[in-house]
Amino acid sequence: METFEDFLKRIIVVVFWLLLLLPFIIFPFIFIVVPALGIPLPTANQVLTALLDPLKALPLVNDLGLGPSSLFFKIAAFPGFTFAALVATGIILYERKLMAKVQVRVGPLYAGRFEGILQPIADLVKLLFKELLVPAKADKTFFFIAPSLSLALATALLAVIPLAPDIFIARSEVSLLIPFAIIGLTPLVILIAAWASSNKFAFIGGLRALHQLIAYEIPMMLSLVGVVILSGSLDLFGIVEAQRGLWFILPQLLGASIFYVTMLSELERIPFDLPEADTELVAGWLTEYSGMHFGLLQLATYVKFYALAVLFTLIFLGGWIGPAFLPPFAWLLIKLFFVITFMLLPRAFMPRVRMDQLIRLGWVWLIMLAFVNLFIALVQASIGVIL
Amino acid sequence: MRRVVHIMPDMVFIAVAVITIGAAILALESRELVYGAVALAVSFLGVAGIFILLDAVFLAMMQVLVYVGSIAVLIIFVVMLVRREKWVSIPAGKERIMGVIASVSLLAFVGFVVLGSGLTETFTSTATPPSFFEIGRQLVTEYGLTLQILGLVLALAVIGALTMAKVEGIRSK
Repeated sequence: METFEDFLKRIIVVVFWLLLLLPFIIFPFIFIVVPALGIPLPTANQVLTALLDPLKALPLVNDLGLGPSSLFFKIAAFPGFTFAALVATGIILYERKLMAKVQVRVGPLYAGRFEGILQPIADLVKLLFKELLVPAKADKTFFFIAPSLSLALATALLAVIPLAPDIFIARSEVSLLIPFAIIGLTPLVILIAAWASSNKFAFIGGLRALHQLIAYEIPMMLSLVGVVILSGSLDLFGIVEAQRGLWFILPQLLGASIFYVTMLSELERIPFDLPEADTELVAGWLTEYSGMHFGLLQLATYVKFYALAVLFTLIFLGGWIGPAFLPPFAWLLIKLFFVITFMLLPRAFMPRVRMDQLIRLGWVWLIMLAFVNLFIALVQASIGVIL
Repeated sequence: MRRVVHIMPDMVFIAVAVITIGAAILALESRELVYGAVALAVSFLGVAGIFILLDAVFLAMMQVLVYVGSIAVLIIFVVMLVRREKWVSIPAGKERIMGVIASVSLLAFVGFVVLGSGLTETFTSTATPPSFFEIGRQLVTEYGLTLQILGLVLALAVIGALTMAKVEGIRSK
């Protein structure tokens, strides 16, 4: 048994060695690696002024190639990861409050004095301080890789999703395909996580997730073919611009409904949460994950939630298109809010479907309806509904 | 900064190539079957990366969707389901050494031919890469018949597989 003094001693030893070793890493980096790469370094005086005055910090950051217009900033901060993670935390809080209101409960109330607004931060702190438990028989490599891999995949979804005509990370001719190619990798990560846990519940959950995701991937992609036919483009920009006259949700109502159902299934949300059914499987493939591992997996789920909600907005609700008195980005956020609400609601009042119902719905009904929708889109395209 | 940008494509290519080939070797040589299957998926991803470097994004996405998203996942699924013992021993016999010698000599031969054929100079082109629009148009006009025959063959394969599975199920009863 370790006493508190031992604990302190251990920490002091670690700090001592860090202080001793860091100069050997930092000084070569500053004096050898940085000049070799040709990056201009600010002087100490500039750094200190920049700390006091953010406006003076801006040119310094721009010199380093990390300014607001640089690719790094786009990926790491604004349309990219940090923004998505912030929205994801917002979604978690909004979901809890919304579910509570629907079920006539109160929900988070105390953290932050006003309606539990600081609850996500409290949860994060709790997760950060919890112990990372690894099962004795677990496959350590895969067990540790899976959470970060899951978050990496969810973040990769954001790469080609534009938020406004001038807010995007990368453009591609086939930017509609790329997010779905990345979503297709999810079963791999879930299988790795489930298998590495070496737990029966986790493995059953993983197998259920595999069946579910593979069954719903096909109708998900088929339901979008109608939109591709009507807009004549695989580029998300082209699809949004094709909706100037009419949002695709009206001619493609069937496609939008199929996409909505498959989206819920892809996110393993409540009518389709069989992979983590908590009354049957503890927590499904997440069973053995604790502490920040669980936090990462949860964050990945909600970043994916955000990305899919944005995709729905762009594909069916005209994205950033709206009257000119608000900027395009604001229109996107307003539509996104409604889409997110609509995606959260089923969790509040729906029971879980059975496995055979789920598989039948995916393989029989949704695929058939997707083909019907394809036919409708062909008829509409030949009549010329959207021009 | 400019220098860094200039050497970037080569660096990316080398990294992708190392990942692809390394994962392929691991897929064959790994003593744990599950690791091998996952390495196979990584190798497929590396091939998709090479397609992206060649400006064929559409092909890369199809590679990810079909090979990684379906085939690799099914292989991993089967491996995980039928796994009996943790470590599979690979016999290091005479065949293995012969195989290594044969593949290395084949590689050396191909490399010799490529180096001798005058393809060593870098070839740069300013022409825009063919868009997937053009590919699609060609598929439904010029190669329409081929496309339909391909579809028929695939449908036949699916029906055949279903029938065989049904027959097996009836026999086992």
